[in-house]
Amino acid sequence: MRALPLLFVCGMVTVAAAHAQSATPGGMPPPPGMSLAESAAMRFPQPVRVGDLIGREVLRPVESQDVLGRVRRVVHDRNGQIMVVIDFGGFLGFGSRPIAVPVDAMVLLGQDMEIVAFTPKQLQQFPTFSPSGTTHVPDNKIIKVGLAKPSH
Amino acid sequence: MKSPFRPDFPPDAAVLDDHKPLIRSLDRRVLIRGGVSLGALAMLTGCDIKRPEAVEAALLAISRFNDGVQALLFDPNKLAPTYPASMILRPPKFNAYYDVMDVKPVDGATWRLDVSGLVADKRAWTLSDLQALPQTSIVIKHICVEGWSYIGGWTGVPLRLFLERVGADLRAKYVAFKTADDYPSSIDMASALHPQTLLALKYGGDTLADPFGYPMRLRTAVKLGYKNPKWVTAIEVTNKYPGGYWESLGFPWFAGI
Repeated sequence: MRALPLLFVCGMVTVAAAHAQSATPGGMPPPPGMSLAESAAMRFPQPVRVGDLIGREVLRPVESQDVLGRVRRVVHDRNGQIMVVIDFGGFLGFGSRPIAVPVDAMVLLGQDMEIVAFTPKQLQQFPTFSPSGTTHVPDNKIIKVGLAKPSH
Repeated sequence: MKSPFRPDFPPDAAVLDDHKPLIRSLDRRVLIRGGVSLGALAMLTGCDIKRPEAVEAALLAISRFNDGVQALLFDPNKLAPTYPASMILRPPKFNAYYDVMDVKPVDGATWRLDVSGLVADKRAWTLSDLQALPQTSIVIKHICVEGWSYIGGWTGVPLRLFLERVGADLRAKYVAFKTADDYPSSIDMASALHPQTLLALKYGGDTLADPFGYPMRLRTAVKLGYKNPKWVTAIEVTNKYPGGYWESLGFPWFAGI
């Protein structure tokens, strides 16, 4: 009689471990008063090939990890700042529009990226990206992007 | 007809309240939480579920039993799948029990690897000592208990070779690690001697970057991600159960893949 319930519970205990490795949340927004560049520098920026970023999912740094969009391309803006152009919003690939987000507002999360410095509401106010005045950053260029731990 | 599994006396519902934090922590697995019901708890090997410590002791006993079964099933000669170098994710995925901004980089020039326990040679190792040993490269999947994974390419000294060099007692039960970020960890000797268990010094052909454990971290293909301590500063060979950071919080110790 005792062996059977024992087997039942074995599975349960293993999955209890899924209680995530998250004593502190990842993807924290920049501390108040800190510039994007300063906060990005605290996130141990790592070299990444621009071509490896294209098509990546861009997530919201919350437990549900909502998908905000996908990386379409990387450009230098008029001031030489590196911007990630994201197909933002929409539903099932329809109705999205491109917006340009400073790379220092974003982090790498394994195969994905997150926008840590802007809320979805703020992103909705971003103008639709227009390539005029920007220069394309080719796929083989290496740029540096900060890191975060998973937000779940 | 009354089910033979139904207890004669219904358990006290307060037992669920006693374990509310634990059950709430399972909220990513709503189905599982649904399984943690009074009925399931009542089936716990006849322990007295009115006492919370009895429930926890029963769950931990089952976890240890699982560890034992996994150790029995472990095949020291079976290799985990490997992948072409083109599939290596660059950079790798960062994770820790704290956010990346709290990473404290380690100075490779002054770093020492202490060796203790059941070993013949307890001399501390420098980074260049380790670099001078034969190196092996593997491209393997990092599988996290949280459910994510990525393919990474690691180069370093096979732990087996290191243990042989320091004259470790290879019949000892455990190899334990201490780290610069206070993340103690330990693995069984069979996994330590597995050919896909490395003291990793490089990722994707380049020196390990700070957030990923420079100058040296453990990387094994036969364990879940949390069994791969970064910034290792000490190795001990021992027969006394060393435990680990997450293990002390209830995670399974063996955590084999």
